[in-house]
Amino acid sequence: MNDHGLKAFDDKIHLTGRLTMSIGALMLLAIPVIISLRWNIFPPFGKIASGVLSLSLIMVPMAFAEIFTYAPILGSGATYLGFLTGNLSNLKVPAAVMALEISDTDPASEDAEIISIISVATSAIVSAVIIFLGVLLIVPLSPVLSRPELKPAFDNVLPALFGALGAYWIMRNWKLAITPLVITILVFLAADVPTSAMIPLSALLSVIAARILYKKGLL
Amino acid sequence: MENYLNVANSGLLFLIAAVIFVLIVCQSIIFFVTAWKEGQRRGIEKARMLKAVKSSAVLSIVPSIPIVISLIAMAPVLGIPFPWIRLSVLGSASYELMAAGMGAEIMGISGLGGDGYTAEVFSSSTWIMTLGTISAPIILVFFLKRISSGFKKVQAKDSTWMHALIMAAYMGLISVFIGPPITRGGIELITLLSGAVIMLISTFIERKFKVAWLKEFALSFSMIGAMAAAILFSNIFKGVL
Repeated sequence: MNDHGLKAFDDKIHLTGRLTMSIGALMLLAIPVIISLRWNIFPPFGKIASGVLSLSLIMVPMAFAEIFTYAPILGSGATYLGFLTGNLSNLKVPAAVMALEISDTDPASEDAEIISIISVATSAIVSAVIIFLGVLLIVPLSPVLSRPELKPAFDNVLPALFGALGAYWIMRNWKLAITPLVITILVFLAADVPTSAMIPLSALLSVIAARILYKKGLL
Repeated sequence: MENYLNVANSGLLFLIAAVIFVLIVCQSIIFFVTAWKEGQRRGIEKARMLKAVKSSAVLSIVPSIPIVISLIAMAPVLGIPFPWIRLSVLGSASYELMAAGMGAEIMGISGLGGDGYTAEVFSSSTWIMTLGTISAPIILVFFLKRISSGFKKVQAKDSTWMHALIMAAYMGLISVFIGPPITRGGIELITLLSGAVIMLISTFIERKFKVAWLKEFALSFSMIGAMAAAILFSNIFKGVL
C-alpha cells in the first residue's frame, strides 16, 4: 500500500461525495419547485425568506457542529453518505462504530474509512428498503404499528438501543465515558435541552476531557 | 381551491419520490462498490468486510421502525410522498415536524392540518422544510475536504490520540441518549437497563462459550428484549408510573 494510492482514493471519495451531495440537494429542491410550478402555487416570497432565515440561524451552526462531531468518527466517505441519508445519531454512527469493532478495525486507521463506508452504505440501503416497505404497506401497517399494546415498545426504541450500546461501550471505555455521562445527566437534570444541541456539546467536552487524561498518561 | 391532499398525494409527487428513492439507493451502492474495490486493492480480507455488512444490516432493522412510524404520523397532514423523501434524505422526524409546523405558522395557520391548511400552506411547508436543511449539504460540499484533512493530520501525527478522540466523541454521543432515561426514570429507565443487562449477558455468553455469531446479533436481541420489557413493565405498573 502506498501513499499515492491513499491520496487517489481520498480524492475519489471527495469527488463522489461532492457530486452525490449536490445531486441530493438539487433533487430535494426539485420537490417544492415542481409543486409550485405544476399547481401554480407560489407562497409569498418574503414570508418564506424570513422563515428560512430564522431556521437557518439554528441550522447552519448546528450543521457545522454536527459535521465536526461525526466526521472524525465516520471518515470522509461515510460522512457524505451519512448526512445524505440522515438518521446519523440513531442509526448510521452506531452501525459504523460497531462494524469497526466486529471487523477488528482500528478506528484511527486508513482501513476504518473503508469499513465505515461499507457499514453506512449497508445501513442506508437496509433503512431505505424498510421505509419503502412502510410506504407500500402503510394501509395494513398503520393499525398494527399504532396498537396501544405496542406503544411502550416503539416509544422506547432509543433507550433500548442506547442501553445496549451504552453497556457495551462504557465497559470498554469507562474512563472516556465518565465525563460526558456526568455532564449530560447534570444538564438534563437542570433543563430539557434538545438532543440535537446536546450532542456536539457533549462530544466536545468529552474530547477535551480525553485530551487531559491522554496528556496525563491516564488512558 | 382544491383539497391540498390531492396535490400532496398526487401521482406526480409519488413519481418524483420514487425517482429520488432510486437515486439515493444507487448512490449508496456507488459508495459501497467504491469502498469494496479499494478494500480489495488494499488487501483487506473479504471476511472482515462481510462482517461489517452483516452487522450493519442486522443493526439497522429495528431502529428503522420508528422512522416508518413518523411517516405514518405525518402522512395524514403532508401526504405520503413528501414525508417519505424527507425522512429518507437528509432528514430526521423531529426536524421535519418542526419545520412543517413553521411553514404553516408563517402562513397564519395555527398548525399542521388545521382549518385553512390549503395547498398554498402545504407548498410553503415544503419550501421551508427543504430550504431549512439545505445548509448541511452545502457546507459538506465546500468544507468537508478541508475539515477531514485536518483530522487526517492529527491521525498521522499521533494515531493513539486520534483513536482516543474518536472514541471520546462517540462516548459523548452515546451519553446524550443515556442521560434522559436516567433523569426521567420510569419505563424509559427500565428499558435502558433491560437493554444494558441483555447486552452484557449476550457479550458474556459470546466470549465465554465462543459463540461467534452472537456478536452480530447481540445488539438486536438486546433491543428487542428491552422493548419487550417496556411493554411488560408498563402493563405491570399501569397506573403506578
